[in-house]
Amino acid sequence: MSNCHGNHEQGNCKTTGLCPIVTFPEVVNIDEIRDEIPEVKTFYLSFPNKDVEREFRIKSGQFIMCTVFGAGEFAVSLPPSPENDRFHISVRAVGKVTHALHALRVGDKLGVRGPFGNGFPFEDIKGKNIIYVAGGIGLIPLRSSIVHALQHREDFGRIILLYGARSGKDLMYQEDIKEWQQNAGFETFITIDRAEAGWDGEVGYVNQLIEKANVPVDNSVAFVCGPPVMFNSVIGEFLKRGMSEDAIISTLERQMKCGIGKCQHCAVGRTLVCTDGPVYTYRQIKTLGEQI
Amino acid sequence: MSMYILSSQEIKQLAQALQASHEVYGPQVDPQTQQVFFDQLDDVAALNLEAPIPSMPVKEILFPQMERILKYNYDSETQSVEMSKQYFEKPKVLFGLRPCDLSGILALDRFFLGQEFVDDVYLTHRRQCLLISNTCLNPFPQCFCVCTHSGPDADEGFDLDLTKLKDGYLVKVGSEKGQAIADAQQWKPAAAHHLTEQKAVVDHCIDLFPEMATDNKAWISRVMNRITTGFIKSETWEFIGDQCLECGACSFVCPTCSCFNIEDTQTACGECERLRMRDSCSFEGYARMAGDHNPRQPVEDRRNKRFFCKLSYSQSKKYLRPGCVGCGRCQWVCPGDIGLPNVVQYIRREITGGEN
Ligand SMILES: Cc1cc2nc3c(=O)[nH]c(=O)nc-3n(C[C@H](O)[C@H](O)[C@H](O)COP(=O)(O)OP(=O)(O)OC[C@H]3O[C@@H](n4cnc5c(N)ncnc54)[C@H](O)[C@@H]3O)c2cc1C
Ligand code: SF4
Ligand code: SF4
Ligand code: SF4
Ligand code: FES
Repeated sequence: MSNCHGNHEQGNCKTTGLCPIVTFPEVVNIDEIRDEIPEVKTFYLSFPNKDVEREFRIKSGQFIMCTVFGAGEFAVSLPPSPENDRFHISVRAVGKVTHALHALRVGDKLGVRGPFGNGFPFEDIKGKNIIYVAGGIGLIPLRSSIVHALQHREDFGRIILLYGARSGKDLMYQEDIKEWQQNAGFETFITIDRAEAGWDGEVGYVNQLIEKANVPVDNSVAFVCGPPVMFNSVIGEFLKRGMSEDAIISTLERQMKCGIGKCQHCAVGRTLVCTDGPVYTYRQIKTLGEQI
Repeated sequence: MSMYILSSQEIKQLAQALQASHEVYGPQVDPQTQQVFFDQLDDVAALNLEAPIPSMPVKEILFPQMERILKYNYDSETQSVEMSKQYFEKPKVLFGLRPCDLSGILALDRFFLGQEFVDDVYLTHRRQCLLISNTCLNPFPQCFCVCTHSGPDADEGFDLDLTKLKDGYLVKVGSEKGQAIADAQQWKPAAAHHLTEQKAVVDHCIDLFPEMATDNKAWISRVMNRITTGFIKSETWEFIGDQCLECGACSFVCPTCSCFNIEDTQTACGECERLRMRDSCSFEGYARMAGDHNPRQPVEDRRNKRFFCKLSYSQSKKYLRPGCVGCGRCQWVCPGDIGLPNVVQYIRREITGGEN
């Protein structure tokens, strides 16, 4: 509890090291808003309270609960890497709260609770190849891990990104991807569903890239995030190639309200996605006995 | 553990004395409807320790149906926000809890205060709360606390525990807080025969339980085992699910149901408040996500969640006891006939192939 910033009742924090903002949201400022792709905007945020900002440390794969004042709260992934990366979120406007967020301007305030969730395993995968597979906005939760892995390039074997979206304009983080492509030893394979004017890259679904990329299955881990259909076909392909169920890692999405394992909305099988997840191995997902 | 023997008069005086420093809650009978409510007592004269089981669980006091936890004002002109926490600590006494309701609170304690995170809101209600239990003398026909080890007498978790005997109330001390109260009074120590008498009272109460309740005792653990290992046939879950009207009543009357929703709403004067209200896994929208994706679409998937929750992992895997305290309220209110004891019966029938 050494780095507890006192946002919550003393003793609330039973986690080791990271001290989340639990019940009472912390105010953040919207410093910049970028249109990412249609319906998705990226919001760059900062904490007016610099003490909290210093203590606010994240792990790749974690999420926060974000309050849009007057509208409500929603769960959102953390795309920045844990190390010197600007604090931001990327959000698709789908419903009540996310539409309200999209209507805000630079200078508006948000509330933040978190970070919550288990995060991606990093220590266990040192020395391995990492294969990132994303569909559409599934790149959002993976971004943090990609940047983190590239910052520690020497710790890993091949680092491959297989990324698919509906069309060229639905590709997230295009500037980042360009930058990553210049990073020696980062292999990207990008596809869109249907051919379109001005696109000279791959066409087809993301699972077809596995062949193209000659993905290594031995000593590899795959991080897969995307819509359930994509997820299922990609997993099928990996398993066919003999990848172990423990080496396939994904994040689950559920309706979330508390983020700390109390409201039970995010229950899946025997686990709660907000505290036991959102990161699961495919072996775990298989035994949860519920739809993904 | 020290024990005392108190007259009814002294019990009232105790309630009275506690009222000086605490909000005192206890069972009272509504004179019009004859319904029993466990509610705040303006006047301790209304405290009725012989009343039947309250209709609503006592969790209302520590985990209200709806409560405001946050208030804020957002000015979009100036882009400024004012925010304040809305839950405050008030010392409370829950006077005359049935052992099942006491067990319900202990289950909520384990859930809200144990595990990785502590729930601040619940903790605030709970921290300065005295629990005074009262041995049950009159079980209802649907009660089965004898099966879930949560009654008719209390054996843990209370600060003070009362049992009505012939010559007054036997008072057992269960905690330091309880002892401090006892020390401040000049109570008469109980004798050995009072303990024998108490045992007789409890045995008599157990005899009053319907045969089905006592008979289900061994079955509850068999059913728990069966649910946990996933051996229930899908037809049985469908049969149970088909009877559920998705009214949520079972969760709202259950002393151990803890699910809640969080919602921000605007008041007429432009202020916003964050409400937290109880929720139920039986509702269709409980797991629905944005974009209308619902991973738990079929009603039986939602319904078996309840019985997994009560009779399997959520409580018992972690705490080695069921998440049900045998109060029977769900049996009482369920319009679909799938209160917990009935579900145990249905699964029992599946196991025995129809013969009970
Ligand atoms: C771990 C995690 C990470 C995520 N990361 C991202 C991300 O990086 N980017 C992104 O764009 N999205 C992300 N999401 C999804 C995002 O949380 C949802 O899109 C968001 O919650 C939608 O909120 P909304 O209010 O706009 O949608 P709505 O559809 O209006 O509501 C969202 C949920 O609240 C429920 N709800 C709505 N109204 C009520 C009501 N009156 N009472 C009770 N329940 C109600 C709905 O059933 C629905 O499940 C993530 C989700 C999770 C769980
Ligand atoms: S499941 Fe039913 S019987 Fe058991 S504690 Fe809850 S309401 Fe009472
Ligand atoms: S999941 Fe269902 S049964 Fe379990 S606590 Fe929540 S409402 Fe009650
Ligand atoms: S009380 Fe009965 S009908 Fe209503 S939600 Fe519960 S199980 Fe279903
Ligand atoms: S979000 Fe409340 S339990 Fe997971």
